[in-house]
Amino acid sequence: MSSVRRHAPRIIPAAALLILLGLLLSGCETDTPQNTFDAQGEVAKDQRDLFYVAMWPAIVIMIGVLGACVVLALRFREKDPNSLPPKQIHGNTRLEMMWTILPALLMLGMAVPMVAMIYEQGEDPDEDAYYIDVTAQRYSFTFEYPDIVDDQGRQLFVPAEPHIPAGREVVFRLHAADVIHSFWLPKLGGKLDVVPGETNVLVLKADAPGTIHGQCAEYCGLDHANMTMIVHVDSEEDFAAWVEEQSAPPPAPANGDDGEETEDGG
Amino acid sequence: MATLAPPRRSPLSQALAGARHMAEDTSTIWSWLATVDHKRIGVLYGVSAFIFFLAGGIEALLLRTQLVVPENDIIGADAFNRLFTMHGTTMVFLVVMPMSSAFFNLMVPLLIGARDVAFPRLNAFSYWTFLAGGIFLNASFFTGDLFSGELGAPDGGWFGYAPLNLPEFTPGHGMDFWALGLQMLGVASLAGGFNFIVTILNMRAPGMTLFRMPVFVWMTLVTSFLIIFAMPVISVALFELTFDRLFDANFFNPDAGGNPLLWQHMFWLFGHPEVYILILPAFGIISEIIPTFSRKPLFGYPFVVFSGIAIGFMSWGVWVHHMYTTGLGTIANSAFGVSTVLIAVPTGVKIFNWLGTLWGGSIRLRAPMMFAIGTVAMFTIGGLSGVTHSMVPSDYQQQDTYYVVAHFHYVLFGGAVFALFGGIYYWFPKFTGKLMDDMLGQIQFWLLLIGFNLTFFPMHMSGLLGMPRRIYTYDSDMGWNLWNMLSTIGAFTIAVAVLVFMVNFVISLRNGKASGKDPWDGRTLEWSIPAPVPHYNFAQIPQVRHRDDFWHQKYQEDEEGNVVPIVAGAAIAPDAPPGGHDDHDEEEHHDIHLPSPSYFPLIASLGFPLIATGLIYDYALVPVGATLVLVGLFGWAMEPATEEE
Amino acid sequence: MAAHAGTGHLETSTGLDNKKLLMWLFLGSDCLFFGSFIAAFLLYRDRSLEVCRDLLALDPTNTASCVFASDTTINVSGQTFMFEGLWDIPFTSVSAFVLLMSSVSMVLALAAIQRGNIRNMQVWLLTTALLGTLFVAGQAYEFTEFYHAGLHLDTNLTGTTFFVLTGFHGAHVTIGILILMSIFVYSLRGGIQQKHSLNIELAGLYWHFVDIVWIVIFTLIYLIQP
Repeated sequence: MSSVRRHAPRIIPAAALLILLGLLLSGCETDTPQNTFDAQGEVAKDQRDLFYVAMWPAIVIMIGVLGACVVLALRFREKDPNSLPPKQIHGNTRLEMMWTILPALLMLGMAVPMVAMIYEQGEDPDEDAYYIDVTAQRYSFTFEYPDIVDDQGRQLFVPAEPHIPAGREVVFRLHAADVIHSFWLPKLGGKLDVVPGETNVLVLKADAPGTIHGQCAEYCGLDHANMTMIVHVDSEEDFAAWVEEQSAPPPAPANGDDGEETEDGG
Repeated sequence: MATLAPPRRSPLSQALAGARHMAEDTSTIWSWLATVDHKRIGVLYGVSAFIFFLAGGIEALLLRTQLVVPENDIIGADAFNRLFTMHGTTMVFLVVMPMSSAFFNLMVPLLIGARDVAFPRLNAFSYWTFLAGGIFLNASFFTGDLFSGELGAPDGGWFGYAPLNLPEFTPGHGMDFWALGLQMLGVASLAGGFNFIVTILNMRAPGMTLFRMPVFVWMTLVTSFLIIFAMPVISVALFELTFDRLFDANFFNPDAGGNPLLWQHMFWLFGHPEVYILILPAFGIISEIIPTFSRKPLFGYPFVVFSGIAIGFMSWGVWVHHMYTTGLGTIANSAFGVSTVLIAVPTGVKIFNWLGTLWGGSIRLRAPMMFAIGTVAMFTIGGLSGVTHSMVPSDYQQQDTYYVVAHFHYVLFGGAVFALFGGIYYWFPKFTGKLMDDMLGQIQFWLLLIGFNLTFFPMHMSGLLGMPRRIYTYDSDMGWNLWNMLSTIGAFTIAVAVLVFMVNFVISLRNGKASGKDPWDGRTLEWSIPAPVPHYNFAQIPQVRHRDDFWHQKYQEDEEGNVVPIVAGAAIAPDAPPGGHDDHDEEEHHDIHLPSPSYFPLIASLGFPLIATGLIYDYALVPVGATLVLVGLFGWAMEPATEEE
Repeated sequence: MAAHAGTGHLETSTGLDNKKLLMWLFLGSDCLFFGSFIAAFLLYRDRSLEVCRDLLALDPTNTASCVFASDTTINVSGQTFMFEGLWDIPFTSVSAFVLLMSSVSMVLALAAIQRGNIRNMQVWLLTTALLGTLFVAGQAYEFTEFYHAGLHLDTNLTGTTFFVLTGFHGAHVTIGILILMSIFVYSLRGGIQQKHSLNIELAGLYWHFVDIVWIVIFTLIYLIQP
C-alpha cells in the first residue's frame, strides 16, 4: 500500500483542519466595514463571545465527526470482496444513552449563558441613555433626535449621516413606514427588525469614536441591497457640537441636494 | 366493500371502461397519463423533480453570476429578486419534496411487502396536482412584459413576509402565482401524506411489525404526519394572503390593525416542521444505504427510530427561532432558545448511530455509500452551524446574513440532496435491472463535494463579515469579494457534477451492466424480487420474521455470532423463498388483480390551475375549473377501483 | 389470495379499514386548518376596536371601520361613541341547533343502513341534507344582514376574520350536503346496499366533524365576548 494511502487517515483531516483554520483566521482581519468579529461596542463583543462558546465545541465536533467518517471508512474497508459479512452488532444501549444524554447536557450548559445574555441585553436602558427615533422606509433609514427640533419643538429629520455619542447607551426606537426592515450596525451589535405597527427598541453602546457601517437586513423590495447607513461615533463634546449644528436653521437650499427633506414650520 | 359499484353498466360507464382499457397498454402515453402504479408515479415524480432541479440550479447560477464580483450589472435588482424567490421556492417545494415523494412511491410498498399504496388514484392525483402547481408557478415568469425584460415571477422571497407580500409593495401578479401555486402543491403533499400513513399502517406484509419496518419507512411515516399537520397551517396563511391580495381583506394590513408577524408565526409554524419534512426522508435513505454497504445492521435501530419520532414532535416547538430578531421579547426568545438547542440532540444521536454502523463493518465504498457518508459529514457541518444559530444573542448578528444561507444549504443540499443522489444510485438497479456506472458516480461525488463546499463554506465568512442575504449587489470595499468569487466558482463546479450525473444516468439506462436482483447484498425486501420490478411487485406476499428479513433469508449466525451463509438446498431456512422461479413468472400471475388505470385524478388536478388562473385574470374561468374538479372527483368516486375483465 | 391494493376489504395490519383511517387522518388535519383561522380571529379580536378608536381620534366622523360583533362604547377625545353590535345570538343559536339536529338524523341514517333498512336511510339522509341546507340558508341570511349593516370583508379585522372563517365552514357544510345528496340519489338508483354502510359511516364522520367545528366557532366567536 502506498505511503499516501497509509497516511491518508491522517493527511486528509489535517489538511482540512489547516484549510479551515486559514479560512477562519482570515475572518479576523478587522478593517472590513461590517465585520461582526470587530466589535466596537459591548453588545457586539458579548454576542461574539457567546458565538465562540458555541463555535469552539462545534469545530471540535466537526473535526471529530468528519475525521470519523474518513477514518472509519478507510479502516473498515472491505479487504476481500468474497468475504462474509462481519459480526452483526445491533447496538450498545449504554453507549447510545451516553451519546444522547451528554450532548443534551452540553446543549443545556450552553443555554445557561445564552439565557443570561438574553435577559441582560433585554434590560431597561441606563438613566443617561440617549434616545433616537429611527424610521425605516424603502430604501433608507432616517433619524430624528429629541434635541434637534425646529422653532416649534418638533423633531427634525437629520439630513446627513447620524452621529451618536461614545461610551453611553443609545436607544434606537425603530419605526417602519412601509414594510418590515431590519436595523443592523454589525460592529455595535446584532440587528433588530423594524415592524410596521410596532416600535422595537434596540440599545447599543459604542466604545470609542469612529465610523460604523450598517445595512438593512430584511428583504424589503427592489433596492434592498442599497439600503445602507453610516453612523458616526463622537466624543461627548463633539457630539454636543454636532447636535447644536443640526439644530441651527439650515441655510437656504442651494440645489436641493440635501438628500433628506427637513420639516420646518408648517 | 369500499367503492360503490354502479347499479348497471350505462353507455357512459362502458365508454369509460373502454378508455381505461386502452390505458392498460403500458407502452402508450395514455398509460402514463392514467397510471395508478406507484412505480410509474414514482418515476414521474423523480423525472419532474429533476427537471425542476435543473431550473432551480440555473436560477442559482444566474444569481451567482451576478454576485461573482462587486457592483456587477449582469442581472438587475428586479430580475435578481425574482430569481432568488423562485430559486428557493423551487428547490424546497418542487425539488426536495417531490424527489422525496418519488422515493416514497418507488420504495415504500416494496419495503413493506405490499403491491401498491393504499389509495392508488389518490396517489396519481397527488402527482398531477404537484405537476400542475409547479408548472403554474413557473408560468409566472412569462406573465411580465417580456419585451422590456420584465419577468412576472414572484418577488417576495421564498417565505414571502408580510406586508411586503401585499399588492402595495409587490404589485403585479407574481405573488398571486406564488400563493396559489403553493396552495396546489400543498394539496398534493397532503394527499400524499394521507396515502402513505394509511399504506404504512395498514398494508405491511404479515409479520412486519412496526419495529421490523426499515428505517426509511419509519421516516416516511413521521414525515407524512408532519405533512398532514403542517400543510394546513400554511394553507390557511396562503388563503389569508390571497384574500388580502385579491379581495382587500385585512389579515396582514398594518393600517387596518393587521399584524405582519402573524404571517411569520403561521409561516414558520409550518416552516420548521417543513425542514424536517425535507430532511427525514434523506435520513431514511442513508439509514438503508449505510448498513447495506457496511454489511452490518444499523447500529441502534430503536434509537434511530425514536429519535426520528422525537424530532417529529419537537419540530413543533421551535418555530420562533426563525423570528429571534423580530422583537418578541426575552421570555419568548429564551424559551425557544432552549427548545432549539435541545432539538439538536435527537439529530446528533442519528449521526453517532450511523458512525456506529460503520464501525466494525466491511465497508464497500461504492457510489451510494460515498453519497451517504457525504451526507453524514455535510449535514454535521450544517447542523453545527445551526447550533450556533440557536444561541439567540449571536443569532442577532447571524440572522438574515449569508451565514444562514450557508447553514441551510449545508443541511438541505449537503444533507438532503446528497442523500437523494445516493438513493438514486442505490435503487436504480432495482427498477432498471442495470447498474449505474460506479466510476462516473465517484467522479460525480467528488466534483459535487468539492463544488458544494467551495460554494457554501465561504458563505460562513461573508455572513460573519456582515453580508446580508437577498442583495443583488455589494460594494467592493466590504471584504466580501473573495468569498463571493469562490462561491461562484463552486456553483459552476456543482453544475459540472450534475452534468456528469445526467450523462451517467442516460448511458447507464442504455448500456448499464446487468445488476441482477440483489447487486449490493441487500438486507431489505426489495432486493428479493426481480429487477426490473414486475408490475405486481411480489409474486407472493412475503411472511416476515425479522427486521432485515431478506438478509435473514441469505445468512444466519452461529453460536459465536459469526455470519454463515444459508445454502439453498442444504439446511434451508424456513423462510427462504422456493428457489428459482421468480425470474420467469411474469406470465404466470394473471390472477393478481391490481387497480385499473384512471384518468379522473388527472382531470380533477387540471381544474386547479384553471381556478387559480381565473382568480387572477378572469373570474369566468373559476366555475370552469371547479366543474373539472367536481367531474374528476365524481368520476373517481363512481368508477370501481378495479375494472372487472 | 393476492391482496388487493386499495380496496380495504381484506385484512389490514391495524384492523382498521383503509378509508376509515384516511377519514380520521383527514379530519385531524382539518382541525389544524380550522384552528389556524380561529386563532387568527381570536388574536385579532380587539384590534378592530383599537383601529376604530385611533381613527376616531383623528377624525370623529370616520366611523366606517367601527362595526363590531357586540355592543361597544368608545370614549375618545372627550366624546362618547356607541355602536350597536351585529350578532343576533338567538338567531344563531337556532341555526346551531338545526345543525346539531342534523347530526342526530345522520346517526339515524347510519343506524338504518347498518340494519339494512335502505328506505329509512334515505329518509334520514335527506333530512340531514335538508337541515344542513337550512343551516347554510341561515348563514346566508345572517351574512346579508351583516353586510347591510356595514360589515364587509374589507371593513375591519372583524369582517375579515369572521367572513373567512365562517365562509370556509359554510363551504365544508355545503360539500357535506353534496356528498349526502350524492349518496341519496345513488341509493334511489339502487346503488346502496347494507354492505356499503362504511361509506355512510364515513360521510357521517365528516358531517359530525363539521358540526363540532361549528360548536367551537359558535362558542368562541358568538358566545364568548371580550
